[in-house]
Order: sequence, then structure tokens, then C-alpha cells
Amino acid sequence: MKKRSILFYWLLIFFPALIISISAFQLLSHEQERINRMAVASAEDRARTIGETLQITVEAVEDELLSSLREIPERDLENTLLGWEQSNPLIRNVFIWDRHSGLKYPASGLASTSEERQFIIRFDGLFSGRISWPLTGSYRRDILPAPGQPTLTGPAAAEKKASGLLQDLREFKTGRQELVQIAKGKNIRLDKSITKTEFSETGGWIPWFAENKLYILGWVKTRESGPVYGVELELVTLLSRLITRFPSASSEGFVYALRDDAGQLLHQSGTAPIDAGAVPDISISLAPHLPHWEIVVYGSDKKGLVRSEKGFLVLAGLLLMIFMAAIIIGGSLLTWQAHRNMKDALQKTSFVSNVSHELKTPLTSIRMYAELLFEGRIKDPDKKKTYLQVIVSESQRLTRLVNNVLDFSRLEQGRKTYHPQKIDLNEFLMEVVDSHRLRIKEAGMTIDTHFLGEKIFVNADRDAIEQVFINLIDNSIKYAGPGIEVVVSVNKNGKDCEIRIEDRGPGVPEADRHKIFEKFHRVDDTLTSKQQGSGLGLSIARKISRDLGGNLVYESRDGGGSCFIVRLPYL
Amino acid sequence: MGNGINGRKVGFAAIVAMVLFCIFSVGSFVPITRATKAYKKVGCKIELDRGVLPAENPQNVVVKVTLDAPAPPSRMERPPVNIAIVLDRSGSMSGQKLEKAKQAAIEALRRLGQKDMFSVIVYDHNVKTIVPAQSARNVEWIESRIRGIGPGGNTALFGGVSQGASEVRKNLSNKYVHRIILLSDGLANVGPSSPEDLGRLGAALIKESISVTTIGVGTDYNEDLMARLSQNSDGNTYFVESSRDLPKIFAAELGDVLNVVAKKVSVIIQCPNGVEPVRIIGRDGRINGGTVALSLNQLYGGQEKYVLVEVRVPAGKNGEDTKVAMAEVTYVNPFTRKKEISKGHVNASFSRDPATVEKSANIGVKRDVQLNKKALAEEEAIRFSDDGKAGQAVDALLNSAQQLKDFGTKYKDPEILEKARELEDEADALKTEGMTKKKRKELRTKSYQMKNQQKKY
Repeated sequence: MKKRSILFYWLLIFFPALIISISAFQLLSHEQERINRMAVASAEDRARTIGETLQITVEAVEDELLSSLREIPERDLENTLLGWEQSNPLIRNVFIWDRHSGLKYPASGLASTSEERQFIIRFDGLFSGRISWPLTGSYRRDILPAPGQPTLTGPAAAEKKASGLLQDLREFKTGRQELVQIAKGKNIRLDKSITKTEFSETGGWIPWFAENKLYILGWVKTRESGPVYGVELELVTLLSRLITRFPSASSEGFVYALRDDAGQLLHQSGTAPIDAGAVPDISISLAPHLPHWEIVVYGSDKKGLVRSEKGFLVLAGLLLMIFMAAIIIGGSLLTWQAHRNMKDALQKTSFVSNVSHELKTPLTSIRMYAELLFEGRIKDPDKKKTYLQVIVSESQRLTRLVNNVLDFSRLEQGRKTYHPQKIDLNEFLMEVVDSHRLRIKEAGMTIDTHFLGEKIFVNADRDAIEQVFINLIDNSIKYAGPGIEVVVSVNKNGKDCEIRIEDRGPGVPEADRHKIFEKFHRVDDTLTSKQQGSGLGLSIARKISRDLGGNLVYESRDGGGSCFIVRLPYL
Repeated sequence: MGNGINGRKVGFAAIVAMVLFCIFSVGSFVPITRATKAYKKVGCKIELDRGVLPAENPQNVVVKVTLDAPAPPSRMERPPVNIAIVLDRSGSMSGQKLEKAKQAAIEALRRLGQKDMFSVIVYDHNVKTIVPAQSARNVEWIESRIRGIGPGGNTALFGGVSQGASEVRKNLSNKYVHRIILLSDGLANVGPSSPEDLGRLGAALIKESISVTTIGVGTDYNEDLMARLSQNSDGNTYFVESSRDLPKIFAAELGDVLNVVAKKVSVIIQCPNGVEPVRIIGRDGRINGGTVALSLNQLYGGQEKYVLVEVRVPAGKNGEDTKVAMAEVTYVNPFTRKKEISKGHVNASFSRDPATVEKSANIGVKRDVQLNKKALAEEEAIRFSDDGKAGQAVDALLNSAQQLKDFGTKYKDPEILEKARELEDEADALKTEGMTKKKRKELRTKSYQMKNQQKKY
């Protein structure tokens, strides 16, 4: 019944906690999904912003290069272009082409470097006249911007809108400014007097694919019958400069990367390495300035964005588990405490009944014999003596009982004081045995002693240790019964001496052995029990033994019976 | 008696030594302006592979333009250097390799002076600046940062070099000697990773006077990529099989960088009188009519670099004397930061007498031609081997070995004969074992070092 109540109470705590947890977990999952959606949207915004910033940068660089190209005086075109090519890292190759005479520079054959020869082959379609300038599909600008004022058209407007997101892209902008400075053509001779109204200018940029790779050619034609000249943009320099300013990885765990037309990762920011075949979750095209190039975003686990953002759910789940464990453990502890208190209350009730019974029995005997003697009806002197002996003996029993109760009270409250002194153990035990020999004999038992030949001294409180032995001998008298011999022996074991009190009584049942030293515990706890007692004797004896630096343990005796061992450190 | 004389001699020597020491000690405090007068210019020596040509026949001759860099003036402060060390910390570098690389970087740092700039960049799949560009005097802090480097994941080599360049650019003034030292043991797998792309990066960096020296460790890195990056940026390239040699390599490289005596070197060779340039041996340059143009980045003190150009000389009459080539070397003196020019020219005479022609052979020039041809043969062997033509690769090496042997026997040159034997051994190894990774790296590095006249360490 008790166990069932406990289980019932425990379930009362467990089930509501479980329901709360499941509900909370569901709510957290929804919240996680919302966070994931926000993270994806934020990553997409960020990728778009990076892409737009990249495009603005390329556009600004291209505008500056075209402006500088326009200002090159025609009479010194070849030398100026060559000087520019040799000093400007943004320029890979330069060219001068004429409709009638074809490619003027670079010249074919040994007059060109191997790089220039490849350049001629690469753009053969244009230089051979098969494809006319400007090309369809190229992003051309018929009206060139004034120098130093790069055109910020479509993407620029978007940049303004996304200004909040751009705060961490300042570095990127610094990189753009550096590139624009390089593109300005500081190291070449320019004719600043040229204004765009003097010529009918055309020019633009041609994205060109050769062997599945992107190349970008900028061209200018300053007058109708004049030559077409221009530069090939060094994309490696552009890339090398841009990636050092590429925004660092955001805290959401995404990997942002720049990917070229062949699907190769050109740069990535973010901690996780990306496998070659990994499919990006978001891709933003960089056309028209860098066609087929894109900004891609990968989730940190490389399998999907949703899975990558489970940090919140994991943390919340963990907190929920801790919360639930706290409720269940706390509830269990409270239930256990209540159960213990209930058990203590029962034991105390039983103790009071036992003690009352213990006190009443000798008192009844004393009262009965005292009344008989008082009324003077007993004339026989022998009987009188016997009756008086009973009164004395029952009074002593009463005293011992009261002493035990008092001792227990002191021990429980920690008020028991000891007066240790050097005791000759053999002599002391002999005195105790002698003083109780009569009582043992009256109980129909015998007592024997086996001491070591040498003297053993212990430092202990004489009264306290006597109390221990009295309780142990009482225990033997109570439970061993008539005809049994009690043996008291002393041995040395290491730093301790062992005092054994052994009998051939029924012993302690296996199930009760670990409980016999608990306070109020009696093997038979009923009022009708055959044996009298308060359930305090052994508990007090062990407590005193331990307070004196030793211990009291029970062992079953070989061949049946009990064996209590008192261990005390000897001097 | 003899002891007494010896004693006096020793005493006298000691006094002379002290006086000399005092003179030189005082000399070291001489103001810079006075000391600059002691500078020697970069020498421009121009020679032909033979001084006398057979008369009445047009023929090809080799013109050698030697740039003889003088030792840096000992009493002058050297130009400060601006170095970025770019370390690969990909997973494969973990353990001994990374530890040795860190140790080498620290030793390099300790050799720098207070005016030098130093930065360290590490890369795996990400690029990280461990030490931003700063004065090399902050030794303790920089050392602690280098010691804290741990291994990571993939290899973003392009990003690493780009970041190194970015750190160097923070101090891109003319007074510094700019250098990136790249160390890698693996294949670049993040970012552009073809030899062509990295070569273009090198070509772009040299326009900003930044050279990249590449150090390949072990047998798993891409030697073509590393060599091309160095070649196009005029840096050095090294191959070390064991990381134990790294401190030695760093010391050799730093020895070069701290010893720069000429920057932005360009060579223009003009060929008059119908002399026609045919090809440039071992270097990339431009032939425009009778003009040959080449550029080099830096010259190191005491180093001799040269350019070999094959030209076609028109037929001349017996006893006639003709000008074959004029060379002009332009460079920036890093001590004065001024542009300087050295010039030279070479003539040839014609003779009908074959013995006179034979006698006029310049063995030194012929020898350099042979060694450059050997380097080209090694590159050809690599190309054949890559195309799966192992037999032709072996033949290329054996042909070159035979040419060296003929030359060595004719001119009794034991060193060339030794090189011929080495090449034969290489051909044998190629035949039996095929082109191993190690062999390919050795050939590529040796070929580059020969063509670039890189100092041996």
C-alpha cells in the first residue's frame, strides 16, 4: 500500500512534467523552423549584397579603365598601352586593331611574348574580323562616364536599400577604392584636354569564353575611322584583390563562396571545408559583369541549411531535459523524504510503546513484592530475602533501561561527553564479566573469557565502554537463551584490538544483519514479542565505539550463533 | 732569440690589427652621402660564343649578356625588406613539417632588423593573417604568434598568396625589397589552382615589384604551379624532400633578399647591321625587329645573372669587323633609389681560316648554352612524360647527355662530363622507374634554378 502511494505520487509529478516537456519541445521546434527560415533569408540577403558589391567593384574598375583608355593620345597609342600593360597589374594584355589592317599590336611571331601569342589566338574571332565590334550580348556603354565618376546604376540603387547589411562590407569597399585607383592609369601619359564631345565615342566590355574560361576585354573607339584599342582585364588580379577583402564568415555557420564558370570555388569564407561535389543552398549570379560566376552559400553541414541551424533546438532541448530531470529528481527526493519521515514516526511510536512496556514490567514486579513485604504477610525470612533480591534486580534493570534512553538522547544531540583514560583491557573486562556473572548465571547461561597473555591498554571512557559491553551481554542474554555459553575473547588485529562477544544462540537472520545497528530497530518489533527491549542497545553501542575511534560489527559465528566484535585502537 | 722575434712580430701584428679595426669602426659612422660614392654599378658584360666567324656565310651565334652584381657596400645600411611568409597549414602539414616550418620562420624573423617589415599568413581552406605587417623588432610577440599555429584542413594557396601580397602592399614604398615566401606541401584545392592561374598572379605581382619565392615540401605538391609562380614573379623556387632542410632554405632565401643590389632590372639588346635575333634561350622575352627586351626583378650581391640570345649574323668578308649587339641594362639602385644604366657592346670579325674561328671559341658562353639546353631538355622530358611518351622523354635526356658529353670531351670540361653522367643516370632511372613524383620535382626545380641562375644553397 505504501509503495503504491509513493508510485502514485511520483507519477503525479512525472506525467505533467512529461506533457509540459513534449509541448515545450514542439513549440521550440516551430521556433527553430522560424529561426532557420530567417537565417536562410538573411544568408540570401547577405549573398546578394556581396554579389552586388562585387559587381559594383568590377563596374567601377571597368569604367575607370575605359576612361583612362579614352584619354590616351592616339599619336602615342602603342607605347602608352605597352607601358600601361607592363606597369598595371589589372591589365593582362593590350591591343590595337584596325578595320583595314587588322591587329596592329601585339604583333604575331617572335615580337610578342608567349602570353601575347595566346591572347591573339584567344580573341582570333574579333581580331580576324569574323565578329564585328561591338558584339551583341556584350554590355557596352556608348556614352562613357567622366573620369573619376564611376557609374553606379542598377546595383548601386540596391546597395543603398541594403545599407544595413553592408556595414560589415566596409573592407570590401576599401578594396574597391584601391582597385579603382589602380585602374586610373596614373603611370601612363594621358591627354586630359580630350573631352567626350570631340569624338563620337563608343566602347564597352566583352565577356569572352575560350576553353570554358571567362576573359574580359575592354575596348574603345574614339572616332569613326580610328582604330579600336583596349585592354584585357587581368581577372586574377581582380580576384586576388577582392578575396582579401571578402566578408568574413557570419556567425550563423554558413559558408559563403565565390564560384567561377567551371564550378570551381575561387574563394570561401567560413570554417567548414566544402567538398568538390557539394551543392550550394543559395546561388546569386554575378552576370552581366562576371557572367556564369556566382556567389554561393552552403550550410555548415554541407547537406542543407535547415540542418545547419539546429543550435537553438539543441540548446533549448538540453535546457528542457535539465528542467524535466530537475522536476523528476526533486519530486522523487521529496517522496523519499516523506517516506523516511513516515518510517521514523512509526519507529518512534513503536519505541514509546516498547519503552513504556519495558518500564512497566519491572515496576509491576517491584510494586507487587514491595506491597507483599509492606503488608507483612510474608513471614519466611528466606522468601523475604528472595523478594528483596527481585526488587533490587528489577530496579537495576530499570536503571539500565533509563540509562540507555538517556544515553541515546545525549548521543543523538551530540551532547555526550567522554573522559578518556588509559585502561588495562584484560582487567577491565574481567571486572565487567565478574559484575555480570551472577545475572548471566540467573539467566541459565555461562560466561567464559579468553584473554591474551600480555596486557593490552586502550584509551577510552570507562563508563562508556562498560555501557557497550553491558548492552552486548544483555543482547546475548535476551536472544541466546538458557543453557548457552557466552565467550568473551580479546585479540590483536593490526593497530586495533578486537573484543569478541560470542554465543551459540539463534544468531541474526541474514535479512536483518544490516539493520540491527539502526536505532529503534528490533528483529521482532511487536508488543507481544517474546523478548523485551527498546531497540536502542546495539545502536548506542556502535555509536559509542565509533566515537572512541573504533567500531562495532556483527559476524555470524562459524557453527551457528552470533559474534559481535568491538574494535578499539590500542596504545 | 727566435721566440723574441716572434713575440715582437705578434705584438706588431696586434697593433696593426687594432689600428685597422679603429679605422673601420670610425668608417662605419661615415655619413651615407659619402659612402654612396663607393658604390659599384651593376656590370654589363656582353660576349659571343666565338669572337671570329667564318667569312662569307650567314650564321647563328649566341650573345651572352652578363649582369655582374657587385657585393653590397659593407659600410652602408642595406635597404629594408618587406617580407610576408605564407605557410600552408593544411592537414598534411601536421607534425614535423609544420613544426620545422614554424622554426624556420622564427629563425628568419631573428635575422631581420628593426627597419624590416614582417608578416605571417597561414592558410588551409581559409586564409588567416597570423602576424599583420609590422616592424620585425616585435620579435617576442611575433614568435608567440608563430608558435601558436596549428594544422587545419584544405589548401587555399591562391588565397594565401593574395593575403601575403595584401600584407606586403601595406608598405609598398620604393625603399623596401618586397618578397613573399610561400611554403606548401600539397595541391591547391581551394581557389584558382592551375599553374597558368598562379603564373598570372606572379606576373601581376611583379608589376608591383613583389616577388614570390616558393618552397615545396615533400613529394605531393604541384611543382609546375610553384615554379610558374616563382618564374613569373622572378622569385626563387626550392624543393625539399625532408622538412629538416627548411631552416637552411629559409636562411638561403633570406641571404638573397637581404643582399639585393639592383631592382626592376630590364635588359634591352639592340642588334645593328642586319643582325637578326632568332630566339632567347631559357627566358621569356620579346623580340621586336632587331630589339630584344627582357625584364628581371632583382639582382643579389655577388650574383651573376645572364641572358642568352641566339642571333643570325649576315655573311661578312674575310678580315671584316662588325658590331653584333649592344646591350643596355636599366635598374633601380636600392641604396640610392635612383635609376642607373650600364651599357656594353660586342663585335665579331670574319675569317676564312677555320683554325682561327675554332680558336676564338668562348668556352664559358658555350658552356652556359649547353647547361641551359640541358634545363630545356629536362623540361621537355617532363612534357613527354606527362603526355605518356616515356620513350621520348628518355631520348630527350639521352640526347642532351650526349651533347654535354661531346662538349665536355672536346673542351676537356670534367664538370660538364659529370653533368652528362648525371643526366644519363636520370634517363636510366626514368626508363626503369618511370617519372616518379620526386624525380619530376627535382627536374622541374633544377631546370628552373638553372634558367634563372638561382644560387645553390
